[in-house]
Amino acid sequence: MADVEFRKVRKAWGAVVAVDDLDLAIEAGEFVSLLGPSGCGKTTTLRMLAGLDFPSAGEILIGGRRVNDLPPAQRDIAMVFQSYALYPHMTVAENIAYPLKKRGVPRGERGPRVAKVAEMLQLGPLLDRRPRQLSGGQQQRVALGRALVRDPRVFLLDEPLSNLDAKLRGHMRAELVELHRRLGRTMVYVTHDQLEAMTMSDRIAILEGGRLQQFAPPQAVYAAPANRFVAGFIGTPSMNLIDGELAAGPAGPEFRAPGLALAVGPLAAGTQPGPACLGLRPEHLSFGTGPLAGTVQLVEETGHEAIIAVTLGEGGPRLVGRSPAGLALRVGGQVRLALNGPAAHLFAPGPTGRRLNAPSPSGAVAAAAAGDQP
Amino acid sequence: MTAIRRVLFNLFAWTVVLAVAFPLFWMIVTSVKPQSELFRRPPTFLPETVTFEHYWTLLTRTGFLDYFRNSVILSVATTLTVVAIATLGAYSLVRFRYRGRESLAFLVLFTYLLPSVVLIIPLYLMLVTLGVSNTIFSLVIAYTTFALPYALWLLRSFMAGIPEDLESAALVDGASRMGAFRDIILPQLLPGIISTALFTFILSWNEYLYALVLVNSDAARPLTTGVMSMLISAFNIEWSLLMAASVMMSVPLIVAFAFLQSYLTSGFGAGGVKG
Ligand SMILES: Nc1ncnc2c1ncn2[C@@H]1O[C@H](COP(=O)(O)OP(=O)(O)O)[C@@H](O)[C@H]1O
Ligand SMILES: [Mg+2]
Repeated sequence: MADVEFRKVRKAWGAVVAVDDLDLAIEAGEFVSLLGPSGCGKTTTLRMLAGLDFPSAGEILIGGRRVNDLPPAQRDIAMVFQSYALYPHMTVAENIAYPLKKRGVPRGERGPRVAKVAEMLQLGPLLDRRPRQLSGGQQQRVALGRALVRDPRVFLLDEPLSNLDAKLRGHMRAELVELHRRLGRTMVYVTHDQLEAMTMSDRIAILEGGRLQQFAPPQAVYAAPANRFVAGFIGTPSMNLIDGELAAGPAGPEFRAPGLALAVGPLAAGTQPGPACLGLRPEHLSFGTGPLAGTVQLVEETGHEAIIAVTLGEGGPRLVGRSPAGLALRVGGQVRLALNGPAAHLFAPGPTGRRLNAPSPSGAVAAAAAGDQP
Repeated sequence: MTAIRRVLFNLFAWTVVLAVAFPLFWMIVTSVKPQSELFRRPPTFLPETVTFEHYWTLLTRTGFLDYFRNSVILSVATTLTVVAIATLGAYSLVRFRYRGRESLAFLVLFTYLLPSVVLIIPLYLMLVTLGVSNTIFSLVIAYTTFALPYALWLLRSFMAGIPEDLESAALVDGASRMGAFRDIILPQLLPGIISTALFTFILSWNEYLYALVLVNSDAARPLTTGVMSMLISAFNIEWSLLMAASVMMSVPLIVAFAFLQSYLTSGFGAGGVKG
């Protein structure tokens, strides 16, 4: 049974629709990320789950119980806020003990439980300090401690790492994954950082414009994006997206754009020829040999590899690829390249055009193959 | 060059300080001079003999203590009323969303656009109709009407400075809305409440016009009008007693100010920046 469920949930403030027609079922013990660009409705979704905002329509269930009309206190959840929201006039110990106090845990029991959480998060020496005397990382751990002290059914985390510096963020990512493994609780984690979502989650819910675009494990989101938005959003550097035409070729369906024609793999049933969009991840371009010729626009050496941007032919599409370091390329020069056709993705036109490849995409596992002749 | 500028600046600053402080100094000096020394020419700067007979007279032979008690009751009651209403009002204006919220906040300031002389007659008639004229209670109502709008704005800017997440966090942690208000909002708001209270207290302690018009029984008169009617007549002004009364009237304010001064200045700062 799903631990947390959204059924046709919609939230609007006047004319602003923050979340629309959201269906989401999260299993018990799962770590789910809500991922999307700023303003896509992640925080609103989380606040509705917490009971801080109320849906305009639809149902929210926690543990099979409809919670639409329950105040936050009765939902058996804990939340970590992006701003940490530590109570400035309380010490760290009082902050962590506050949820216990509000739920009527006797005074004598609070101390040991605070101490246990403090030990787990290495907050022991800080217990008598006030929040403003702590560094960002320490504040973050206190906020986490306040959520952990009560052992709730669901943990909600709203961009908890976004105010930390890059090194600490990497460290806390690992800590959170470890914590989730140890507690085995359901966690709903909001982030706009795909690296966080990809590395930590069991499943990722990608939102855009208040609508759910895809809900799948990280590998699936990467290997088989459900639509053009997901394809462009996930992956760095992002997937090459080329608008063109889907047509019948001599050996099956073919994608055509200026300077490019590529045989594409099996398509979803009912796909018609017409405008379409080709998606190709940078790792599915290979440089040095191949049937195509491009002009080098940009070479970024990152050390172990190089990010190379080329344009195909005259005014053709611009493609970004990665290649092992050591390939001597100069900006403005010509280079031969090949595209891995079977790994390509196809999408219907429009910013969220749906995926046209046949289910069980060959692209994810296909060995590198030479590009087809134009 | 800079040395001269500094000297000039210091000179200027001290002139201003002296100009402000001298009347206060003169008030104290006059209150402790014996009657015989009061009108001597040339005047003595420091009294030759210091006497507290005027204070004694005031405390034992006049209604000063009654007026003082009235003023304390009046100011404390006004302050409590204003702070209570303004805190809840500011919370509503900042946290809840409803139509006309902003206009409402501006509308309350309209009181200050009208001279009090214009408001005082209708207010008086209303209080008479309510049957509370000539009581301390009527003055509490009157003072609340003109202290509340400013208090509301002051507290509103303090309230806006408290992150909404703090309250949300308290709700998630298991508090009710009232509980979150008490545990989180009130402690955060304390500097704002103190500076609002001080402002209201000073305003009601020193108010004269409303007290003069709305109350004309000795039982309800506060210090300002009481002292005036007692010591100033068409024929004579009791300078020594008046000065002694003034000193004693200032003491509560000076004490309050000395203890809470830092809150007050921070309060006006917050009002200025965000309001
Ligand atoms: N209290 C509110 N009143 C009106 N609009 C809001 C409110 N909260 C959020 N929104 C709008 O809802 C949309 C989604 O916001 P939010 O959930 O905070 O996005 P995210 O957390 O993904 O950045 C935004 O367009 C935002 O402007
Ligand atoms: Mg957000």
